[in-house]
Amino acid sequence: MKFLPLVWAALTRKPARAVLTLLAMIAAFTLVGLMTGMNAGFKAIEAMTRSDRIYVNPRFQGLMPAAMGKQIAGMPGVAAVIPVGEVWGYYQVQRNNVYVGLGDFERSRPEWPVTPAQWLLLRQDPDGMIMSRIQAERWHKRVGDVFTMNAPSFNRMDGTKTWRFKVVAVAPDIALNPDGYLFANLTYFDKSKPLSEQGQVGYFEVMAADPEKGSQIARAIDDTYASSGTPTRSFTDRAGFENGQANGVNVEKVTRDVSLAGLAMILFLTANGIAQSVRERFAEFAALKTIGYGDRIVMLLVFLEAALPCVTGAGVGIGLAAILSGMVNHLLPPGWGLPVPVMTLPVYLFAGLGAAVIALASTALPALKLRRMDIATALSGRT
Amino acid sequence: MLRQIWIVSALNFKSLMGRFWQSMVIVVGLAATIGVMLSMLSLSVGMREAYLRAGDPGRAIVVSKGAESEAQSSITRDVAPLIADGPGIAKDKDGKPLADRGLNMGVPVLRKDGSKGYTTMRGIAVEGQGVRPELHIVAGRMFQPGRREMIVGVGAQALFRHMQIGDKVILPDGEWPIVGVFATGDLLEGQLLGDTETLLTAMHKTAYNSILVRLTSQDSLDTFKKALTTNPALSVTVERHSDWYKRVASQSTFVLALLAYIVGAVMAIGALFGCLNTMYSAVSTRSREIATLRALGYGALPVAVSVVLEAVLLAVSGALIGAAIAWVLYDGKQDVFGNSVFHLSVSHVQFELGVTWAVVVALAGGLLPSIRAARLPVVDALRAT
Repeated sequence: MKFLPLVWAALTRKPARAVLTLLAMIAAFTLVGLMTGMNAGFKAIEAMTRSDRIYVNPRFQGLMPAAMGKQIAGMPGVAAVIPVGEVWGYYQVQRNNVYVGLGDFERSRPEWPVTPAQWLLLRQDPDGMIMSRIQAERWHKRVGDVFTMNAPSFNRMDGTKTWRFKVVAVAPDIALNPDGYLFANLTYFDKSKPLSEQGQVGYFEVMAADPEKGSQIARAIDDTYASSGTPTRSFTDRAGFENGQANGVNVEKVTRDVSLAGLAMILFLTANGIAQSVRERFAEFAALKTIGYGDRIVMLLVFLEAALPCVTGAGVGIGLAAILSGMVNHLLPPGWGLPVPVMTLPVYLFAGLGAAVIALASTALPALKLRRMDIATALSGRT
Repeated sequence: MLRQIWIVSALNFKSLMGRFWQSMVIVVGLAATIGVMLSMLSLSVGMREAYLRAGDPGRAIVVSKGAESEAQSSITRDVAPLIADGPGIAKDKDGKPLADRGLNMGVPVLRKDGSKGYTTMRGIAVEGQGVRPELHIVAGRMFQPGRREMIVGVGAQALFRHMQIGDKVILPDGEWPIVGVFATGDLLEGQLLGDTETLLTAMHKTAYNSILVRLTSQDSLDTFKKALTTNPALSVTVERHSDWYKRVASQSTFVLALLAYIVGAVMAIGALFGCLNTMYSAVSTRSREIATLRALGYGALPVAVSVVLEAVLLAVSGALIGAAIAWVLYDGKQDVFGNSVFHLSVSHVQFELGVTWAVVVALAGGLLPSIRAARLPVVDALRAT
């Protein structure tokens, strides 16, 4: 602590340089925070995916007969089968894409932040809808409002393609769906379709009694229907996320590489700054050594001079990244679709480690030079 | 004046080597910024290029009214002849209109890394070949109309498993053998093609997704469009094929491009501060030299210009290094994103983008230091040790 005034004096000797270096660090660490945070967000979502929930989709486009649900329910290891309908279309103008899931999700999505009371409200109201907060904010809807969507691909019995729902509850969001969600009742939907299309569903959500057996049950379902009129393609929540969500992009590698590039940029900047600072103050360090400062203390001084802006920059940068992540849903267009960065312990650790490595690496060469310095020559100023 | 700028700048560049490591801060900063940004952009740019190449201004696509993708669209069998009879459609040598009744659906595939995905399986009619002259067989043969056969694109073959000639694709009515490999140079190469009518039966479908027609000339779109949209028996949207893909491309690549620009912008801000730092240091290192020049009668402007010029030179070389690294690593590499197979791309347009960003950063980062250089008090600077 007693060396702090010395370090401070060194930093403020060239205030412009110190401030600019710090600002560059803040920018780089904001990037590091956003990138590693995005990876952490992705990991968090992955950890939330379940192995006991199986999605049974038609192998090819089209619908599936609801009666299949009863057959699947009879298969060994299956705890529950929830038939699900789907409607997609738009709200008011075509770019406002909307997707509604219709079904009794209370049984298949126990981890979702919808309360039993809200599920009850939905069941009691045939044309009711549960809206997540993100969606409610986007369409400016509150409980009691009517939400009318256009669905060009979904005919109603009366010949129109306009679907009307009443908002019965607004529920918190879930990281898995960064774009929010809309739930409604399957019965209402099914009964409103033309007679010829009734009794068909989009897919099934199947709960396995034992999470360990999820993939096995998914395979068994696919085998059963392989040569039927409606072949299936089933996978667990976990497997679906692993295969689909990233669209084939290795999120971990991309975010890490970008972070490293950002760090490399400031490593160079810092190393140069410290080298220059030490060169300019060579005589000063010689004086310190003359009055009895040991090699270690001199090196510590140089290290602190590098570390102080690194740590400050990392702190402020990560803070800025945290603030920006909080605003992602307001700053970016709807349907952004990428995981929202979250600031978890590994994010702080990575930033801290990055700051430490940069400080150490940029101190190494100048410190070595100071150690080997010839005090007499340095003091004389003939360097 | 120009002569002065030239002399001062030349003198400055001669001393640049003395400030090598310091100058490298700008070079490395911009190389990292542009390298990362262009590497990330190679995904959206490559995807966009594949989409745009698939769109031909000499073709028009007909989808059901309001549909934004082929999957959303549905054209029933009974109205298809009405569309094919529309004015402005080119005819083949037998006098039949060049109109391709298309099907479009997802088909499960196994990526080479073992993960599961989907690709597009497309049905094209016999007439489809006249509509798509870019389609050619590179191995095996074309599928025969009426038979349950498929051909596979070179991109799909490269990135998915079980896509060799002789392999079988499982469809609801059984297994369809792959009999040929095709190339188009665009998005279609990541897909599977089969005969529309046979696929329609196999998939228990009664409607096509779209009708693609070859226009007699690029100008006949309006005639064709007007005839179709004013026909009360039809409820369709007609769009030039190239415009259709331009829109689809923008929708599909928007988020990816935005992410690349956000990352690039944050890094550019960091590089800007590094640039300011370096240029201020450079001015202070050169203060004697500058003061001497000023004492000899050189103007303030040539001195200021030499500072900005140095920043621009360093930044642009950094950007070029970064762009070159991105180009070496990613350009032309085949990749898959979602359902699309394409080649990553770092083209001269991206090089220009990188250089433009570098110039902007250098101008912003060199301006303030150049003002300091121009206003350097001559006498003090000459006396300073």
